[in-house]
Amino acid sequence: MEERIRKIRQARALLAEAMQGCELPQIEARLRNADMELHWALWNLGEPVPLRPELG
Amino acid sequence: MNAKFWNQHTETMPRAKLDALHLHRLQALCHYAYERSAFYRRKFDDAKLKPADIRTLEDFKRKLPLTDKSEFIDQQLSNPPYGPTLALPEDLVVHHCETSGTTGKPLGIPYSMYDTLRYGESWVYGMWALGIRPSDSFYFAFGWGNFAGFWSTYWAARRLGCKVISGGGLDTKGHINAIMRLKPTVLISTPTFALRMAAVAAEMGIDMSKSSIRFTYHAGEPGPTALPAMREQIEKAWGAKAGELLGIAEIDAFAPGCPEGDGVHVNEMNVFTWSMDAESGNEVAEGEIGENIITSYVNSAQPLLNYRSHDLVRRRASCACGRTWTKLEGAVLGRTDFMVTVRGTNVYQTAVENLIGEMPEVSNSYELVLTREEDNDAMTVKFEPKKSVPADMWWEISKRLSDKIHQGLHVRLRCEAVAPDTLPRYELKTKRIIDQRPKEFRRALDR
Repeated sequence: MEERIRKIRQARALLAEAMQGCELPQIEARLRNADMELHWALWNLGEPVPLRPELG
Repeated sequence: MNAKFWNQHTETMPRAKLDALHLHRLQALCHYAYERSAFYRRKFDDAKLKPADIRTLEDFKRKLPLTDKSEFIDQQLSNPPYGPTLALPEDLVVHHCETSGTTGKPLGIPYSMYDTLRYGESWVYGMWALGIRPSDSFYFAFGWGNFAGFWSTYWAARRLGCKVISGGGLDTKGHINAIMRLKPTVLISTPTFALRMAAVAAEMGIDMSKSSIRFTYHAGEPGPTALPAMREQIEKAWGAKAGELLGIAEIDAFAPGCPEGDGVHVNEMNVFTWSMDAESGNEVAEGEIGENIITSYVNSAQPLLNYRSHDLVRRRASCACGRTWTKLEGAVLGRTDFMVTVRGTNVYQTAVENLIGEMPEVSNSYELVLTREEDNDAMTVKFEPKKSVPADMWWEISKRLSDKIHQGLHVRLRCEAVAPDTLPRYELKTKRIIDQRPKEFRRALDR
């Protein structure tokens, strides 16, 4: 489980990089949604993440 | 697809780990609410409390003031639509729902996109446990309106990945014909409407137990887990497994049904709950009946902390189904304020009494008589007109009272005038509720 959690955290970090400076609203919106889902996955694995994805 | 749980990792998480997670999340929620909601900042300040003062779960239960629906409604009325209860910029609110307004004014419920995803997914735990899978197709036998229960079921089907068939706008026969034509496998409705549909189908010469429906899933009123007789009737009428969850519109679909069939489990990823003695305000122990006090992690637009549900519940720490999430045995056993659901609308004793009190021709002697008619709870208001009112006016007063209740509570109740001094008088507490429903259709504490 630890390895899965580590990979999800990595994926969020990659998404954050991909979102930086994104000038296409459609793509930025999809990346934000993807980050929301990954935040929700961490939450439901019992990880101590903030209440909302944009908070950390 | 053969997994027993939607998420075994958290649904069977040891209590100590769940409690540690709750404390972390409650502390974060206190900071969030204090910093973003003027309503909560004032709550904390009035209690001379800072978010950092919440160091234990006991601190949270004892130090943080309770909240109640009426407070939120008052705040919203002072500055519509949400007033100081909103904790996110309004442009992040993507969906608006409302409570039915049966206690008086409706409560506005704002949701962010994330809130809708999490609220919807709360349904899935119970659906999955019942056996519903992404290959199933849902038939929604209701109109949509602004009711959170309906919308969140739709969000649930999206989260699970099922086909959605909306029956919005159809009458009962239309629903039956649509089910026979489109062959969905899951019926979503209130429990009483499921029974009504089966009865109407029988009149049409259609046996719904032979239809494509394999599961029925319900919310909105006491159903299969609270009333075993209801479960038997629905399962027989539809030839299907009947499930239920317990939800509160402004909070979450927070308690999915237990596959053991005798209660619901609190979704401890979405909410934190404890039980309170409504008289003393003290926490009650496991196995004792108390009011369910709920804090939601998933209402980031309008946070709800230590929120009074007015539902009386009995908590159990363990269950044969394997979930460690707190079980509410028999779901809701009763209400701190008496409530009955009439044709899908929650009707509160106090709300009816308030409207009766606004009729100058009606005396203080009245009864609210509960019966069971055509698979629905029904309420009749029996009242004595004041002695100064001539008998030839009684019919008109009855009609005006019925109209007033319909206008105020969105439900039509039968109102009957009876001659003055004919209703029973009581030396001590006046008995207003006369419950003539069969015992198997009453909540445990109303029997």
